[in-house]
Amino acid sequence: MAAGNIRRDNPATSNKLTAYFLHHLQSLVFSLGKIYSAPATTIMTVAVIGITMSLPGGFYLFLKNIDAMAGDFRSSTQITLFLDFGLDEKSARSLERQIASTANVKSTQFVSRAASLEAFRETSGFGKSIDTLASNPLPHTIIVEPANNADTFTIKNLLNSLQSLPEVDIAKLDTEWLERLYTILEIAKRAVGIITILFAFAVLLIIGNTIRLDIQNRYQEIVVTKLIGATNAFIRRPFLYGGLWYGLLGGITSWIIVEAGYMAISEPLNRLNMLYQADLVLITFSFHDFIILITSSTLLGLTGSWIAVAKHLNQIEPT
Amino acid sequence: MIEFHNVSKRFPGGHDALTNVSMHLDKGAMAFLTGHSGAGKSTLLKIISLIEKPTRGQALLNHINLSTVTKSQIPYIRRKIGFIFQDHQLLFDRSVFDNVAMPLTIQGYRHQEIAKRTRAALDKVGLLHKEKSLPITLSGGEQQRVGIARAVVHKPMLLLADEPTGNLDPVLSREIMQIFIDFHQVGVSVLVASHDLNLIDELQKPVLTLNRGQMIHNDLDYVPDFLG
Repeated sequence: MAAGNIRRDNPATSNKLTAYFLHHLQSLVFSLGKIYSAPATTIMTVAVIGITMSLPGGFYLFLKNIDAMAGDFRSSTQITLFLDFGLDEKSARSLERQIASTANVKSTQFVSRAASLEAFRETSGFGKSIDTLASNPLPHTIIVEPANNADTFTIKNLLNSLQSLPEVDIAKLDTEWLERLYTILEIAKRAVGIITILFAFAVLLIIGNTIRLDIQNRYQEIVVTKLIGATNAFIRRPFLYGGLWYGLLGGITSWIIVEAGYMAISEPLNRLNMLYQADLVLITFSFHDFIILITSSTLLGLTGSWIAVAKHLNQIEPT
Repeated sequence: MIEFHNVSKRFPGGHDALTNVSMHLDKGAMAFLTGHSGAGKSTLLKIISLIEKPTRGQALLNHINLSTVTKSQIPYIRRKIGFIFQDHQLLFDRSVFDNVAMPLTIQGYRHQEIAKRTRAALDKVGLLHKEKSLPITLSGGEQQRVGIARAVVHKPMLLLADEPTGNLDPVLSREIMQIFIDFHQVGVSVLVASHDLNLIDELQKPVLTLNRGQMIHNDLDYVPDFLG
C-alpha cells in the first residue's frame, strides 16, 4: 500500500481544519483545567516565575524613573553668559533680546553688574570687603534657558554659538555632572539588559523543568494515547499550552509584585515631596510596558515548554 | 489482514524472542494466540502494533510492510487497530465516557459524532449507564469492558488483545471472550493472546501456539489431508 493511503482521511471526521482548531481550543482549556486541578504546584511555579520576572521588571521601572528625573534636570539646565567687561548696559540688554529670539532658547534673564554685586554682597558674606573695592569687578550676565525639548547635543551647539558671539566673554554650562549621570545610567541600562537575559533563561529553565515533571507524571497517559494512534503533535499540544499558561500567569504575577512594590514606595515618596516641596512623581508600567511584559513571559513559557517537550516527549515510546 | 513471513526478532543481548515465524490471519478471521509466558506472544503483538520491528523477515498489516513504516506514519496505522490490554490501561483522571472517546478525539471527530459513537460502544459492552463514572469506581470486569469499548469505538479493522482475561474470574472471562466473538461476527478481524486453554477449547476458534519463539501449532495454515 502506498504511503499516501496510510494517511487517508476518515470520512466521519469533521472538516479537518475545524477539527484542528477545535483540538487547539480543547488543549487550551484542558491544560487550564490541569492547572486548576493542581493548584499547589501551579501557584508555586507561577510564584517562582513571577518573582523571577519581577526583578528585571523592577529594575527597569527604577531606571525609567531615574531617567525621567534626569530629564527634569536637563530641562532646568541653564547657560550663563558673562559678557565682555567693556559692554554697556544698553547694548547688553539689546543682546539679551536678540538671544531670546533665537531658536532653542526658552527664556533669557538679564542680570546687570550692579545687581550681581548686590546679590553677591548679600549671599557671600564678604559684604565689608566688597565695599573696599574701587570698582565693580563683575560683568553683566545673561542667563539663558534652553528649550524644554532640547537634547544634550542641541544644548552643546547652542552653547558654542553663544560662546562665539563677540560680546560674550565666557559662556558656561554646568553639564559635567549631568553627563556623568547619563553615563552611569547607560551602564545601569546595560546591567539591567544582562539581568533581564539571565532571568529570561531562568524562567525558561523553571518552565522547562515544570513541564518535564508534568510529562513524567503523565507517562502512562502518553504511552496509551500513542498506542491508540495519537500523533506527536497531538500529545505535545496540552503541554505547550500548559507552558503558555504558566508564562502568562507568571507575567501577571510579576506585574502585580512590581506594582505593589511601587505602591509601597510611593507613600514615603509623597512625604519626601511634602518635606522638600518637590513634585517627584513615580512612573509605573505604561500599558505598552505591561503588554511587553505579559507577551514576553508568555513567549518564554511557550519556548520553555517547547524545549522540554521536544527533549522528553519523543523519548517516550510504548514498550 | 496479518501476514508474517519468516519473522525473527532478536533483542539486544542476543535473546531470540521469535524465530522464523510465519502465519497469516485473514480479513474478518478470529484466532487465539497461546503459549507459555515468554514464548513470544507479546513480541508478536508488539510487532503488529509497531512497538517493535522484526530483525528478519516480513510482517505485513493490511499489505503494508511494517518494517518500512516511517515514524510519522505509525499513528495513522495504529488507528486501524483496536488494542485491549491485560490491565486495561484506562486513565483514572477522566470519566468512562472520556476514556472511551479518546481514539475519536485523537482523530478529530466532530463533537456530536464522538458522543454518538462513544455511547454506542459503551452500549455494546453494557456500560452505557456508567458513562459519567470514574474508572476507579468500576469492578475489574467493568474496567476491562470499558477498555474494549475504547478499542472498538473508532471501528478498527483489527482487534488485538493481550491476555484480556488474565485478571478475571472464569465467568467474567467468558463474558469478555463473548464480546470478542460478537465483534468477529460483524466482520472485525480479532487476534487474542491468552493462556486460558480451557476457555479457548470451548470457543472453537483457530489457535496459534508459540513455544520458545517458534510457531509449533498453526490451525490457520492447516490443510486437510484429503485436499493435500
